[in-house]
Amino acid sequence: MYEKTTTIKNHSGLHARPASQFIACAKGFKSKVTISRINGKEGVNAKSIIMLLSIGLGKGESVNISADGDDEVQAVDTLVKLIESGFGET
Amino acid sequence: MRYGGRSLAQGIAVGKACLYKPYDAKPEKKMLEPGECDKALLRYKTAQETALGELKCIYNNLSNEDEAAIFLAHIDILCDDVINEEIKDCICCEGYIEEWAVYSTYENYIQTLGKVKDTLICERAADLKDVQNRLLRCLAGIPENNLSMLQKPTVIVAHDLMPSDTAMLDRSMVKGIVIEIGGVTSHSAIIARSYGIPLLCVQNATQLVANDDTLIIDAFEGVLLLNADKATVESYIKKCDMWLAKKKEIERYITVKSICTDGTRIDVELNIGSATSEELKDSEYTDGIGLFRTEFLYMGRRQLPSEDEQFEIYKRVLSQFSGRHVTLRTLDIGGDKILESIQLPQEQNPFMGKRALRLCFDNLEIFKTQIRAALRASIYGNLWIMFPMVSSMDDFRRAKGIVTEVKEELALSAIPFDKNIKLGIMIEIPAIAMLADQVSKEVDFASIGTNDLLQYALAVDRMNPDVSTYYQIYHPALFRLIGFVAEQFRKEDKPLCVCGESAGDPLSAVVFIGLGIRKLSMGCSLISGIKKLICGMSLEKSERLAKSIQDMSTATEVENLLREALNEYI
Repeated sequence: MYEKTTTIKNHSGLHARPASQFIACAKGFKSKVTISRINGKEGVNAKSIIMLLSIGLGKGESVNISADGDDEVQAVDTLVKLIESGFGET
Repeated sequence: MRYGGRSLAQGIAVGKACLYKPYDAKPEKKMLEPGECDKALLRYKTAQETALGELKCIYNNLSNEDEAAIFLAHIDILCDDVINEEIKDCICCEGYIEEWAVYSTYENYIQTLGKVKDTLICERAADLKDVQNRLLRCLAGIPENNLSMLQKPTVIVAHDLMPSDTAMLDRSMVKGIVIEIGGVTSHSAIIARSYGIPLLCVQNATQLVANDDTLIIDAFEGVLLLNADKATVESYIKKCDMWLAKKKEIERYITVKSICTDGTRIDVELNIGSATSEELKDSEYTDGIGLFRTEFLYMGRRQLPSEDEQFEIYKRVLSQFSGRHVTLRTLDIGGDKILESIQLPQEQNPFMGKRALRLCFDNLEIFKTQIRAALRASIYGNLWIMFPMVSSMDDFRRAKGIVTEVKEELALSAIPFDKNIKLGIMIEIPAIAMLADQVSKEVDFASIGTNDLLQYALAVDRMNPDVSTYYQIYHPALFRLIGFVAEQFRKEDKPLCVCGESAGDPLSAVVFIGLGIRKLSMGCSLISGIKKLICGMSLEKSERLAKSIQDMSTATEVENLLREALNEYI
């Protein structure tokens, strides 16, 4: 298992287009990937748009991304990078 | 069968009916028969595949990025692993029928998202609802009614069409539209007229008509014919061809210069909304843009357009008009125009409420973003900025002050803009029309919005079908008001345009010219008709007509006089 913490930068948070982008990226990896709020409850499936929307992550929130599987390091690093890129929003 | 209706956009259409109704059904909570589980799973899987096919097809056909993103999200939702597993569990482990499994599983998440305070998430609940409906419809084996992908000549029948529906209309296939509510100046009517699609308003139309019925719309006579006999259909196809031929004959006038027989030049300008290529196709034959309804850039989308996005569009339009003026009307929402991206207050009387400029004053960030984008684009052409819903000179001065502020900010950041931009107002509130002598001294130009001016002057809600007979576009008082305004602007030698619906109506246009108006602005489909009129008309004749109207007391008298006098010119 491998995990990292990051903060959501883009103004619309992880809904709408960024959410679609995020799960599309997560689906590219074999590992089981979860995402959760820092100090929040158990992580949810990061490949599910419904779960991602249900926990509703807004701008400025810190999240924990963890993965378990063959490509866990690459998965977590790529997703963290995507969040930090702000999804092309300003 | 023959039904009467109110014509909102003239013309004749023959086509197959397409009922546009959002699918909405709540399945029963029922258990599966023993041993039915595998079949139920298969039916769910098949419905899911059908739905996916539909969504992919819509997605591939959309060129607008924002619309496409919505449908991409729908595909994600439809294929979501978590929700899929839950639905399968509900069928296999709990033993419910597949309709109930889909309905209840989605409903759960719709409720969850609907309770979240964040408006962006709440909006996603509507997407879940949409996918839920799509799946349930596919399970029921009902084909999709999508206005953007029509296979044959179609007449759309709907309760009403929202701006976002009309944005998706396949204009090559939609021959006519029947709606149940709306007035001459409702959004649907304006769009239909600007694209030359006949539009009829018929009560209970969605209950009278079934899909694939043969429909004939005669929007000259205000008649809807349902499954008429073959001879009637053929005679209407002929009539329709004749109408289209006459339209074509008039369209030849598009390239001519709009000069009266005595040499008086009348500027014929263009009204645009989304700056689509269709709206702009004849732009080279116009004298500029008299009205750029920028609110269309804000409509049917979830997020406000950014400064850069607006800048790019304004820049494109300004460049295309190479030096001819482009009159940009700042955001005019409220009344019949709503936005998904801004929560508007619920009002008793929205047309008299916090709309247009009033709303912008309370949302300065939105207003300033638009002004900034416009000013930045101003170096690419000849930009005029116009404020809507001005009721006093205080409004104009305040708006002008904000433009000055934005100019200062741009100057500080060394961002270039045209320093000589003209600032003007819409004259659509009677109070500001009565002040035209004062107004004309202070503004650089003005434009008369006849739809709202008439609505406010006659105290008639133009959206309310019950009072539509009171909305009299030839009311003599309207011409008196406009005559007064025209006289004042002429004294100050400031440009004055008429950009409301009436500007494209030949009967009214003649009177406007006679009253001293030299600029008329209208939707692209009306330009050739008005040019034909102007070319055949002398200024003297239009002045004489305008003068005789001054002594009339009812709209009927005015209309009869104009129809008789202008029969040969239109």
